[in-house]
Amino acid sequence: MGHIEFHQVTKRFDNGHEALKDVTVAFEEGSMTFLTGHSGAGKSTFLKLLMCLDQPSRGQILVNGVNLTQISSRRLAYYRQNLGAVYQDHHLLAHRTVFDNVALPLRVSGMLEKDIARRVRAALSRVGLLPREHLFPGQLSTGEQQRVGIARAVVPRPKILLADEPTGNLDPELSRDIMHLFEQFNQVGTTVIIASHDHGLIESMGWRIVELGNGSIVRDQNNEPGSYDTEK
Amino acid sequence: MTRKNRPRKDPWPRSHTGPLTWWRDHKRVARETLHFVSARLGTSMLVWLLVGIALALPAGLFLVQINLTGMTTAWEGRPGLSVYFDLGLADAEIAAAAAALLARSEISGVKVTTQDEALREFQTYTGLANALDLLAENPLPASLRATLAEDASLVDLELVAEFAGRSAGVSEVVVEKTWLQRVTDITRVVSRLGMMLGALFGLGAVLVTATSVRLAIEARLEELRVLKLVGATDRQIRRPYLYFGAFYGLGGGLIAAMLISLCLVIVETPLTHLLGSYGQELKMSGFDPKFLLVLLAVGGILGIAGALLAARQRLTDLEIL
Repeated sequence: MGHIEFHQVTKRFDNGHEALKDVTVAFEEGSMTFLTGHSGAGKSTFLKLLMCLDQPSRGQILVNGVNLTQISSRRLAYYRQNLGAVYQDHHLLAHRTVFDNVALPLRVSGMLEKDIARRVRAALSRVGLLPREHLFPGQLSTGEQQRVGIARAVVPRPKILLADEPTGNLDPELSRDIMHLFEQFNQVGTTVIIASHDHGLIESMGWRIVELGNGSIVRDQNNEPGSYDTEK
Repeated sequence: MTRKNRPRKDPWPRSHTGPLTWWRDHKRVARETLHFVSARLGTSMLVWLLVGIALALPAGLFLVQINLTGMTTAWEGRPGLSVYFDLGLADAEIAAAAAALLARSEISGVKVTTQDEALREFQTYTGLANALDLLAENPLPASLRATLAEDASLVDLELVAEFAGRSAGVSEVVVEKTWLQRVTDITRVVSRLGMMLGALFGLGAVLVTATSVRLAIEARLEELRVLKLVGATDRQIRRPYLYFGAFYGLGGGLIAAMLISLCLVIVETPLTHLLGSYGQELKMSGFDPKFLLVLLAVGGILGIAGALLAARQRLTDLEIL
């Protein structure tokens, strides 16, 4: 379910700015990829199109052969139930506890409460926030809020995991832990795409790297740890 | 596109489906919505009062209508006419006039009151016997009362009155519509008024609920956006607001029942007195458990209709980012 293809995708905004220009790229099911590039290169736009938060101006985005630009609202909901997403601005509900925020996708999918409790606590344990399950997002630091967002993304065991700068507010050790968590999901077949400009992290992980520059793909390489040219 | 990547029938299967999942989700949403409504009791009470007042008026008029209908159905009196004859007219001529009227299909019965019988009745019911003794002769005329047949109309009654007026020795013909005939007319007015007000106030209840639900939607837009992000379907997004509408409508129905009950308590004594003066006994009907259930159901349905209206306006094409 996790095969992704971009076919000549262009995204032009109303002000005429082209965030993506004729991008063609594919991600095999079960692959792990860093999407990188300088600020404004088009990483977030790329992920937003994949999350169906925006529509391309031209081109096709296929996930497992289904064109996301022509998907019905019901199928879009089911698609999103199979998608884990970590957002830069977290999108947490302020009046719900950490537990309830993480439980949200499971409740939407109709899981039993006892299973939800088990899964949520496991996810919170993985991001080190189990003791804080009863707190509200406003009572957490930015880094902790980010980890809640990560727990919510991984808790439904998605087929595709997308993350926009997921380690931006985390210390290096925690960043590495989170990456290992993503790796574990990848090992059971989840396609993982992570937008990041943390060169140190990218270099250390040894995943495929797709680099965007001014809306176009300027580099697409399989990386071995330590081989990434940070000057690019 | 490679063979491997061709779309399958359902590339994104749902892990939890079926009626049990659906039921579980409804239970959860109902519980959460009830919690939301009860946590904002001041606002909720205001909505309940508005919906309750909107429902109470047409429902009260409906009660008035069915009680007036019951009253007129129970009354045995029928409209008819009274014919007053010239003083001293021979009994034979009076009997002939009575027979002529009885022969008409529009008339079901005729009762003749002679001058002597009229005098006796007057003495019995007024207690003025001594005053009449002072008069040289009986001043009361002989009369007859003709009752209109059940299938005859009031137009027929006018025709019969014209016919009776042409008979020899008739001094006056009085067409009688009983007061209950007027009540029947009033009942018709109340019924029409009830329907009209029912439609208007029902629309009012829908709009009040729609506005309240719309405000609730606006207050939770961020939550709706996040729900969409994690894969909630449009139905799941809409569901809490339908429960909002149902709770507002049911609460409004309950308030309406309380208001009607209060009105009944207030008017009971003067109404009993009024009906007693017409020889009638107050027997309020219609305000029973069935009426209450219908009131609650109507409230619930109008509330859901309002919620659907608001959800349709606000949730269609909800921008999530």
